[in-house]
Amino acid sequence: MPRRVGIVGVPPLAVIETINRAGDVIVDLDEPQVRAPIDQTAARIPRAYCAILRTVALNCLHLQLDQVYIDVGPGKCDCALHVAEVIADMLPVPVIRTRNQDTRAFGHPLCTSHLPLMEKFRRITKGVQSAAPHPPMETCRPSCGFWGVPPRDFSLLALFPDTTHVFGWTRCMENKTPADLELERHFDPALPTVFFSQSFCAKSVLAKHLAAKHPRAIAVDCDVTAGSSTRAKIEAFLELSGITPGRGGAG
Amino acid sequence: MLLADFGTSYCKILDTRRDSTPRIVATRELDRSFRADLATGHNAARRSLRSINELTALARGGLQLVDRPDFVLLDCGSRDIKFVRIHNGTVADMGWNAECGASMGFTIELLATYYRLDYAAIPAPATGFSITCGVLGMSHIFDAVVAGVSETEAVARFVRGIALNAHRFAHEPDELYLSGGLCANPLFVASFPCRVHPLGRFVLLEGLRATLRQGAENPARQKEGKPDID
Repeated sequence: MPRRVGIVGVPPLAVIETINRAGDVIVDLDEPQVRAPIDQTAARIPRAYCAILRTVALNCLHLQLDQVYIDVGPGKCDCALHVAEVIADMLPVPVIRTRNQDTRAFGHPLCTSHLPLMEKFRRITKGVQSAAPHPPMETCRPSCGFWGVPPRDFSLLALFPDTTHVFGWTRCMENKTPADLELERHFDPALPTVFFSQSFCAKSVLAKHLAAKHPRAIAVDCDVTAGSSTRAKIEAFLELSGITPGRGGAG
Repeated sequence: MLLADFGTSYCKILDTRRDSTPRIVATRELDRSFRADLATGHNAARRSLRSINELTALARGGLQLVDRPDFVLLDCGSRDIKFVRIHNGTVADMGWNAECGASMGFTIELLATYYRLDYAAIPAPATGFSITCGVLGMSHIFDAVVAGVSETEAVARFVRGIALNAHRFAHEPDELYLSGGLCANPLFVASFPCRVHPLGRFVLLEGLRATLRQGAENPARQKEGKPDID
């Protein structure tokens, strides 16, 4: 019977290959897997904390898992290192810390494709569960950029046109090199770009820093869900850049 | 063409064919069936044929009204604050705070009615409360009054605190242009720690007019989207 293996972040390729070979089921704990109030984690994780890692703890509270791999190296963050302590105490199953420093580049065709931005992110995050590269895709001519991690609230992505190219850690995810800072800090100065980070995330410094260097950029952050202020700011930025925002506007 | 800036407390409406100046209607008194041709603000998408984002309207309005290549424009509304920073004639930065900046204008108006105050007759106080929003700031007023401060002085400190917070939100410029109904509040305007140029409450309407003009000048490019950020 296949086991249910939780993953946090992007575990090393060798780990993913092992899970796949065993025919086990991967559950991405970074993504909301249960419908339950996130405040249920408040006894274990402060409310003013990365919403992705609070989601990890929420999933761990509700899901039946046989094992968890949590990446705590430079490809994830120190917060994950500390949250690993919390979930190791919460769960009666092995919680294995990994430090993904894979350097073999798989490319990032999804990041530059013409797919709707939300679909790009769905496929990229799903791709973490496979050791196979994404098939080649035609590159679209970009109208704007999204830099950052996959947001806790994917609805934010509906604001962007399909011609949005993806940069930052999400590109590293697709490339299967999550600790590649050189790739993470890459952006296109010719493209109006939204530098996104989760509130309370260490990467917010990099987002702000790179946005200041970029000639046409804004840095935004959001916590559990994207509020109207964040949506409106992105919408106005795109509109004022001459880009027709997507249908998921602030209204 | 009927243009509307749907504010939380007041709606600013301009019929470009009939009105020489906009009219102001309390939002709660606006007919539910009212529909504009082009609008911005609260529920604008539902109450108009076409709507644009408030930050977009603010930026376009500011670019029409301020004849300078570099400036900061801050809009203080009933329930939120927003700013745009223009550099070399294009938008360089912007912000919108509907959460921590909540209910600023609304609370200032509420307090004047409750304490029967005339803001034109109150000098700016030397200090202000350290507050981040109207709701949290109210408790400072009550605490100060209990401690023996006059109601007028306590409200004045509250208003100054609100102005300081809005100034910080706009990244503390040495000089700023102010938009919104609070331009008519002398105490609020005098409470900023910088030079203030009040532009009045029709800046967003001016942004709508600019949007109309852009569309009329080049409808094809308008449909595709003409950049205000270069």
